Amino acid sequence: MSYAAPQLRARLPRIADAAIQRARLTVVPRPRARAARAPRIPFVMLVSAVLLAGVVGLLLFNTSMQAAAFRETSLENQASDLAARQEALETDVQALRDPKRIAHAAQSMGLVIPTTTAGVIDLATGEISGNPVPAQGTPLPLFPPPPSRPAALDPPAVHVAASHGVPDQDRGGSGPKLGDKHRAARR
Amino acid sequence: MSRPTVRSAVRRGSPQLRLRVGFLVIAIVLSVFAARLVQLQGVDPGSYAAMAAAEGSVTVTLPSARGEILDRDGQPLAETVDGLMVIADPALTSEKAPQIARFLAKRLHVDYIKTLDRLRVEGSRYQYVARQVPASLASDVVNDAEDKGFDGLFTERDPLRVYPGGDVAANLIGFLGTPGADGSARALAGLEASFNHYLAGKDGQARYQVGAGQEIPLGDNTITPAVNGHDLHLTIDRDMQWYTQRVLQQTVEGAGGDSGVAVVMDSRTGELLSVADYPSYDASRPQDFTDHKDLFKSAALTDVYEPGSVEKVLTLSSLIDAGLATDRTRLTVPPELDRQDHPIHDYWEHGTLHLTLAGVLAKSSNIGTVIAADQFKRGQLRSYLTRFGLGKRTGIGIGGETKGILPSGSAWTDQVDDRIAFGQSVSVNAIQMAAAVNTIANGGVRIDPSLVEGHATLDDGTEIGSDDATEHRVVSADAAHQTMLMMERVLDPDAGVAPLAAVPGYRVAGKTGTAQEVSSDCGCYNGLTVSFAGFAPADDPRFTIYVVVHNPRPGSGGGSTAGPAFSKLMSYALRRYGVPPTGTQPSRLPVEW
Repeated sequence: MSYAAPQLRARLPRIADAAIQRARLTVVPRPRARAARAPRIPFVMLVSAVLLAGVVGLLLFNTSMQAAAFRETSLENQASDLAARQEALETDVQALRDPKRIAHAAQSMGLVIPTTTAGVIDLATGEISGNPVPAQGTPLPLFPPPPSRPAALDPPAVHVAASHGVPDQDRGGSGPKLGDKHRAARR
Repeated sequence: MSRPTVRSAVRRGSPQLRLRVGFLVIAIVLSVFAARLVQLQGVDPGSYAAMAAAEGSVTVTLPSARGEILDRDGQPLAETVDGLMVIADPALTSEKAPQIARFLAKRLHVDYIKTLDRLRVEGSRYQYVARQVPASLASDVVNDAEDKGFDGLFTERDPLRVYPGGDVAANLIGFLGTPGADGSARALAGLEASFNHYLAGKDGQARYQVGAGQEIPLGDNTITPAVNGHDLHLTIDRDMQWYTQRVLQQTVEGAGGDSGVAVVMDSRTGELLSVADYPSYDASRPQDFTDHKDLFKSAALTDVYEPGSVEKVLTLSSLIDAGLATDRTRLTVPPELDRQDHPIHDYWEHGTLHLTLAGVLAKSSNIGTVIAADQFKRGQLRSYLTRFGLGKRTGIGIGGETKGILPSGSAWTDQVDDRIAFGQSVSVNAIQMAAAVNTIANGGVRIDPSLVEGHATLDDGTEIGSDDATEHRVVSADAAHQTMLMMERVLDPDAGVAPLAAVPGYRVAGKTGTAQEVSSDCGCYNGLTVSFAGFAPADDPRFTIYVVVHNPRPGSGGGSTAGPAFSKLMSYALRRYGVPPTGTQPSRLPVEW
């Protein structure tokens, strides 16, 4: 390998020369204006398209939101309307189930609440025990008495009933008796 | 940055001077900002923050719903329905006031003249036309008005409390008055008043920002949800309550009485199935009863009276429990018994009788009871009566309950002792007495009566209800059994005094009471209180019923007046709850010897 060293040394300056040659700065040639750039039209088209799509999309979104809001309001109104109607119907059902009404209907059909002996059916054996007899009972007063009239409207003449000197317990004071007024009112 | 700057610098003067002036100006401006900052953040930050928040934000009250009052089967006794108030803006309505008033009078049943005046009020833009109108009706009316060209009518939320039962359990439930200006409920009586906090909910609040009349979707938005009130479940059975009220009405009217009370109780649990008062009122129309505000209560709890012979049940069972007598103890009953101040009589004339203890109860002999009660040691009867619950509030949840009057200390004289033994000189309320008699039905164990199922919190913070009901033994099971057998003899057509209280097919134990009534006017005895308390089936009691009639026409007695009412109620209760007859033989205890 000894003979190769001088040879390398001889070639070295040439390589350095070349490097120097290559490294010498020169002004980059000005690129030809515009020719090197990407064509501008497609880009503008793309941006416009995106912009347009955005605006239109926003508009549509907004419109649909508005429409949904209107729909929400109208559905809410409908729901509250229906809730009110349901409540009204439930009130009607309540009124129909009212014991007063049922008793009135039953009593006008001649039914009574029995006080006579009842029979008992054992559902497991089907056996009837007791000594059932047809129902009998007295009709009930179906409605409470109306409120008695204010004292000012009560003519003094109907106070006669109070004359057996029974004082009014409830009020603990003077004045006409409540019970008497009820009775007087019905006379 | 090169030559031109240099050139103009000459014209603008020294940079140092300019710098100084510049800094000065900046310092002045910053000082102003700093002062403002201190003013905003230091002096009163809260109100500024509130002002900033109020700008463009809207606060809406989220209304809470008041709890319902339900019977034991969940039937509503008091419920809240959506209501609306109809409001007029007189600035818009005054022009067509007569037409609008006629329209409203027809549709909403409001007073024409009053409405006309309100539609014409000058200088006002807010006038109530009608309040608490059912929601569907109110909105229909306002819509129809707009269709007819009547402007200026609006609706606003105004919940409506309804009492579907009317007078059913009105004495217990009470009612709400017209709501206050802030929409808060005004409970005026009964459970509505005593459980007001429990029933009332807590209104919530929604706060959001608006822009151009619309909620800003992502703006500040805070919601405090409304907390609805609790439902109050009662042990009352609505149908039973209705029937009890009607039977009581029939009984009081039939006897020409002033008033009455009827209590139906589940013997095993102490739950009150019905508590009826007569006269009572209609909770859905309390305004009709403004002249009788004294009816806005439950007389079964608030009124005291002397129980009379029904109390003998307590005296005699205590005697047996104390080992001082048995149901067959033989007593010689003279025609009249001379005691310290005045002689004691029986309600019927008799010669010397040979009665057993059962006979004393069956025939309701005062003299026999006093002779038997002489066996008690001093204070013994009082301690028994206290354990039976006399002289102590039952605390079932309605305000204004009376303790009753059980004399103590020096007030308990020998004469008083004699009279208390047969139920005079001692005062009770009807629930107390029903619970005391129920002790015998429940095998000698007194169980607290309850009106509220489960438990609920009173306005004063007390938890009450059937879950919290306590029980304690008053007399031995054997003493209770012997008393029951004696009480059965009361209904025997031959041996007893109250055959009318019998329920065909069932064994019934009961006791009549005919007491003199104390008049608050003269402080003397004047008038009568007749009553009947009992339970059935006697050997396996399910219901304890107590009927009281005050001031019936002279000649009425516990057996003849209250007895038939007891029989009807017991018969209904046994049928309603499907209780079969026990099929055992009724007691044949001897009443005489």
